[in-house]
Parts: sequence; C-alpha cells; structure tokens
Amino acid sequence: MKFIHLADVHLGAVPERGSALGEVREGEIWKTFRRVIESIHDDPVDLLFIAGDLFHRQPLLKELREVNYLFSTIPSTMVFLMAGNHDYLKKNSFYRDYPWAENVIFFDEEEMSCAKAGDLDVYVYSHSYERKEIPERLYDRVRPGNEPGLHILMAHGGDQSHIPFDYRTLSTSGFDYVALGHIHKPQIFPGGRAAYPGSLEPLDRNEDGSHGYLKGTFENGEVKLSFFPAACRSYVNVSLNVKEDTTQFDLEDRLKELILEKGKNNLYLVSLKGRRSPDTVFLPERLMELGNVIEVRDDTRPAFQLGELERRYSGTLVGSYIAAFREKENLTEVEEKALYYGLTALLETNNVSQKIANTKLRKDQ
Amino acid sequence: MLVRRLQIQNFGKISDEELTLSPGLNVIYGENESGKTTIHTFIRCMLYGLQRSRGRGARGDDFTKYEPWENPGEYGGILWISKEDHDYRLTRSFARERSMEELFCETTGEILDIDEGDLEELLGGISETVYENTVSVAQLKSVTGKELIQELQNYMISYQGTGDASMDLNRAMQMLKMTRKGYMTAEEKRKKALEAERNKLESSFNYTYREIEELNQKQKTMGEKHAEGKTAAEAERKQYEKRILSLKQTIKMLRYAALGTAGFALLLAVLLPVVLPSFSWLWILAVLAGGISAGGIFLFSGSYGEEISRVQKSLVMLKKREDKLEWNAESISERMIEKRTVLDNLRQEIQAFDEASLEPSQAQKETEAINLAIEIMEHLTGDFRVGIGDRLRQRMSEILSEITDGKYEEVLISPDFQIRINTENRIVSLESLSRGTLEQIYFALRMAAGELLCGDEVFPVILDDVFGMYDEDRLAAALHWLYKEPRQVIISTCSKREAEILKREGIPFKEILLG
Repeated sequence: MKFIHLADVHLGAVPERGSALGEVREGEIWKTFRRVIESIHDDPVDLLFIAGDLFHRQPLLKELREVNYLFSTIPSTMVFLMAGNHDYLKKNSFYRDYPWAENVIFFDEEEMSCAKAGDLDVYVYSHSYERKEIPERLYDRVRPGNEPGLHILMAHGGDQSHIPFDYRTLSTSGFDYVALGHIHKPQIFPGGRAAYPGSLEPLDRNEDGSHGYLKGTFENGEVKLSFFPAACRSYVNVSLNVKEDTTQFDLEDRLKELILEKGKNNLYLVSLKGRRSPDTVFLPERLMELGNVIEVRDDTRPAFQLGELERRYSGTLVGSYIAAFREKENLTEVEEKALYYGLTALLETNNVSQKIANTKLRKDQ
Repeated sequence: MLVRRLQIQNFGKISDEELTLSPGLNVIYGENESGKTTIHTFIRCMLYGLQRSRGRGARGDDFTKYEPWENPGEYGGILWISKEDHDYRLTRSFARERSMEELFCETTGEILDIDEGDLEELLGGISETVYENTVSVAQLKSVTGKELIQELQNYMISYQGTGDASMDLNRAMQMLKMTRKGYMTAEEKRKKALEAERNKLESSFNYTYREIEELNQKQKTMGEKHAEGKTAAEAERKQYEKRILSLKQTIKMLRYAALGTAGFALLLAVLLPVVLPSFSWLWILAVLAGGISAGGIFLFSGSYGEEISRVQKSLVMLKKREDKLEWNAESISERMIEKRTVLDNLRQEIQAFDEASLEPSQAQKETEAINLAIEIMEHLTGDFRVGIGDRLRQRMSEILSEITDGKYEEVLISPDFQIRINTENRIVSLESLSRGTLEQIYFALRMAAGELLCGDEVFPVILDDVFGMYDEDRLAAALHWLYKEPRQVIISTCSKREAEILKREGIPFKEILLG
C-alpha cells in the first residue's frame, strides 16, 4: 500500500510580499501542489494525507472548487483532509459543507473521529481545528481501534499553543503511522512511525533547505518513508569569507560561481563574514544584482587589533573610546558595530594617516 | 624616566652608533640628513616596539622605512634607561622572523616580563600616541604664518577634544554622519516601498468592503422585492387555485346538467310511448332534443377543462418565477460569505504585514550603531575638555609668560577654541602676532599639554629642530625655561646657535656631534 503525506501547503500565501517575487511565489505554491497531485496519475498511490494548513487562510469557494477538481482527477486515491490552525473551520467556513468528490474524506469537526478508506482496511483518525489555537493536549489519549488493517493518525500541531505532544507518546500509541503537520521543517522522528513532511514550498526566509513531501509504503506492518523535494526554489544561506585582501570583485566572482553551482532559481541570503581591511567597504547592492540575491548582511569586522590599538592610544580619545566598549561584557550587535564605526571614523580622518595617504598619492603620481 | 645611553646596532641609515646622554640638557648636532630624526624614531621604537603594518598599509610604514639595507638581521639595538634609582637595559631586535625583546633590570639583576606589562609600568602608562603627541615635539611644517595659526588652532581643538593632536574630531563626526545619512536614505526607500505595499493591501480591503456593502444593499432591496414578489405570487396562486376550483365546480355542474338532461331524455324515451302510445314526431323530437342538449352540455364542459389546464400552466410558471427569486437570494448570500472571507483574510494579511514591518531593518540597526558611536564620542570628548580645559590654559599662560619675560601674560581660549593672548595692555588675536611669537605660543602649548597628559610621570622632552625660527633672545628664554624644568631634554638641531647660547648663558649641557 502506497501513500503520499503532505502538509502545510499554504495555498494563498504570498512569500516575499512587496518584492517582484511576491506574485511569482504565490503562483508557484499552487503550481507545485498541482504538480504533486498530477504526479499521482503516473505513479498512483492508494492514500493521500494532507495534514492541515492546505490553505494559508480561510479558503474561498472557488479555491475549494479548484482543489476538489484536482482531487477528482485521482479517483482511485483516497484523500484525507483536515483543517489546520491557518485554515481552521470558522463559523461560516466554506469547508463546512463543501460537497467533496467521492474519494475525499474531510474531517469537519474538532472532535476526533475515525474514517474507513472505502474498501481498504485502512482506518484514519483525525479532526480539524475550529479555532486558531488549541492549547489542549488532544492527541495524548488517542488510541487505534481493534479492527484488522492499518490505523493511521493524521495530526496537526506540536507547539505550545497548537496541541502540544511528545513524539515518543505518539510513536508508541499503537498507530501504524502518524501523519503530522504544522512544523515547516521536514522531520522523520526516530522509529520512522511519525513524521512532518514540512511545508511544500518554503514560505519565508527562515525556511531554508529542501522542501517537498513524504512518500511511503506499508508492507508487513513496516513503514518505509522517503522525502521527495518538490519546491520550485529553496532559500540558500551563503556565507562568504572575507580576508584583509578581499576585494569587491573577488566577492562578486565567488558569489556568481556559487549561484551557478547551486542553481540560479534559488533565493540567496548572503552574509559576509570575517575580518576585512579597515579601509575596505563592500557594496551589497552590487551583490544583489547577481541573481536572486534577496539579502546581503555584512557581518565583517575591520581587522583592528583592539588590544594593540587601546594600548597605543591609551590616554587619548581613541584609547578611551575602545575602553568604553571593552568595559562592557558581551557587546550587542549594535554596540559592536558602533565600536567599529567610531574607530574607523577616528582613525581614517586621523591627520597622520591622512598625511601618509597624501604622500603616497604624490608618490604614485 | 630618562634615557642614559643608546646603542644603535642597525637602524635606518645608522649602524654601530653609541650615544651617552646626560640627565639634563642634551644637544645633538648634525647636518641635514645626518640621522637626527632617525635617533628620535629609534628611541620611540625601542620604547614601544616596531610592528609591521598588515596588508596594504605595509608599504611606507616605519618598519619598512627603517629596515636597514645591509645586515637586516641586525635590525635593532639597546637602550639604557633609568627610573627612580633603578637602571634598566632594554634590548630589541626588529628583524623579520627573528624579532626579540628583553628588559633587564641592572640594579636588581632581574629579567622583567614585557608581555606582562613590566615595560608599560616603567613608562608610567604613557601610551605611544601620548608620547608622540607630547614627549616628542617635531618641527612645525607650516611655511606661512596663516598655516601656522591653522596648525596651532587645530592642535588646540584636537588636543582638547581627544588628547591627540593628530585626531580630527570634526571630520570623524562628519564621516559618521555621512555614513548615517546613507543608511537613512536606504531606510526611507524601504519604508516607502512598504507603505506602497500596505496601501495596495488596504485598497483591496476597502474595495472588498465596498463590494460587501453593495451586496448588502442589493440583498436588502432584493429582500423587499422578494417579499413583494412572494406575496404577489401567493395572491396570484390563490386566484389561480380559486379559478381552478370554480372551473372544476362549473364542469361538475355542467356534467350533472348534461347527465340530468340525458336522463330526462331517456325518461322521455321510456315514458312517452306510454303516455302517447302512437308513434309521434313529438316523441322522437323530444328524445332527440334531450340527447343533443345533454351532449352539448357535456362538450361545453370540456372547454372548461382546457381553461383549467391553462391556469395550471400559469401556476407552473409562477413556481418557476418563485424559484428564481429564491435562487437569486441564495447566490447573493453565498457571494456575501465569499466576500466576507476575502475581507477576513485581507485583515489578517494586513496584520501579519504590519507585524513583519515592525522588525528593525539592517539599515535601522546601522543607524542605531552610528548614533551610539556619536553619542559615546561626544561624551568622551566632553570628558577630555573638562579634564584638560582650564588647566591647559593656565599652564600654557605660565610657560608663555616665562619665556616671553612677562610680555604675554595670559592665554585666553574661547568656547570654540579660538586662542587669544592677553598682553600687558590689550587682548590680541593670533593673526596680529609675529611668526616668532606664534612659535613661542606653540611651544608653550606643547609643553603644557605634555605635562598634563603625562601627569605625575616625568618624561624626557625631545625637541627635533624646533627652534629654527627663533631669534637669539627667544631661543635663550626657551633654553632657560627648559633647563629649569626637572626633566631630561634632548634637543636635536642643525644649527650651532643652541650650543653657543647655552655656553654663553652658562647653562650646563652635553653636546653630541653626529656624522
């Protein structure tokens, strides 16, 4: 028996809202969902679990029609659907009395219930969210029935305000498989009987890495799971190491190469790390032009020898300035930046260094 | 602290040179390019070490400048210094790969630990920068009086604000503010983009809101119409039903009539032969009339049946009309729920968007950091002014008065650090003073600053060719003042005047000839 386990598709979400990518990403979520359903035409599965948050917010009637149409194209797959905390069953939700295709089972109450999958000896236990948050531990006492066949729990949550649970309790509660949703990072729990497929497409900058769905088989009481990347793009964190002799062009070349290697479709979050020469300033805007680079963080520090400088300038403003920061324990990000900003300004406008620069200039001419 | 002896192994253009200094006045005489400045640099490098600059700064730094062409492995030397009845020997080699340093106390026979700060302690905490700013006084580079005033003024401002004359606080502040402006512009741009996006969301919210209101209105008028239509239809239906009922009754009656007539005709047909036994035309006529009228009545009743089915058709039409009315109302309320869902979703999106926009951007963080840098710098500068301010002015006045034989009594410093001088009878600005006097003011300022910055620590004063512009009287006054000061003085010069005047004035000094 084969199945696909999806969750947190978040149809209707607009990642990167406000940039040109916003609309593109909104459409890509729908496209990827459609592609997953269509893949079932070529490689049929018996069961499809959608463990909550299919929609980013309350679904519209026309959206349900589109989704139901897709389900109707895979009539020999039983589809199990629950509403999560994002698309929870509001009073007037169109979810409530939508006439689903015959192969779709929608759990339309917050109370747990069990549904049998047509002629198959498969029993699915699930429910829906009727509110945004459910702090109660609803899953702690759910146990499978005695009927021969497969017993599957489809559940959504796992944090403080969304049905907290301990995966060990769930894994040992007797279900053949627990199809989880809500956490956007894919994760298969030890024992392989409970898993989060993660969000189908990454929905914000924190969701880096691969995204997709889980495909599995039940065979002689064993579950075999494998993860299938399906997202159109990934967020990729790239850190470029900077040394004192690193130049802007050098950075640009390295980033270009990385983008070429990892795919230019991906969305890049670049951070510059290391110690740069104190008189170098990098231009993030030029890096942003190299592809889908959506963020450049300059975390480099000027290569000042603070101790050495403090000693040399002790008794003067520069010395006191360094000391004022060194007195503090654990500088915050802003304080550290302030230290380097001030120091750079003081040392760069220093008459002596200016004179050296001028004489150099004259020599070069 | 004083320097007793120095042995230059190999440093710049000097090699194997040994000089012994006196604790009082020393005059090092040499022609131009004979290495006087090299000796000053050597002393500084012996005291503070000579680090190679890293990266691009390495070209033209002191390390490279003074690295000997021959025997670079012997780059370095020995310095003998004394402090508080203890004699020390400081040995350094600056050679690449083979640098070493050693501080040995000759009095106690103890090797001291430079890494642990023993040398720093010996130097009384005077840092290299303070040393450069105060201990060692180089020749003024200014050619014209105007430049000299500028230099004096700059020194005053920088020194008062930073304790370091090479600092340019104003330019540093300007640089910070310019950088901040860049970030603020970026932030403004970002804010504008966010606002545009939010406006988009808000206008679709408002649009949906209006749509709902319109639907509401429509529903209301539709509701009225619906009710009207419903009662009208109800009345119509009742009418139709009544009509059908009456028609049915009429048919019934007619049928009864027809039946009655037919029965009457039959009765006639049975009775007439009895009443009128002979065949009569009347007999046939009566029966025929009865039969025909019965048939006629029956046929007539049929036309009423057609009327009923017509009315029934109208009833069906009426039902359809009512259904349509009902369906319209339903579709409006369905659209209404849809729009309300859209509105709710938009409301949530706006909320999420607002929350996300509240997070501080990178530019905001940078701005905050620069603000902090400016704030701390201003605070520290204030501390320096308070710490130095009036004491500097007072000491400077004393020195100036002494070396000008009371001609210039008092130095005045305005809040914006403009220097003025109080003479015996009036206050004058620097512009109206002679070059020689300006040099004297500068000397007083440097000496006063040195004392203030060094605090209790008595350090040598090293004067590198500073008296070139002094006339004989001024020079004699300055030398007298230096001799009176309780510290070691090292004067280097390319002129013989210093030695001559010292001899003439009977001031003891040690003369060292270079080259």
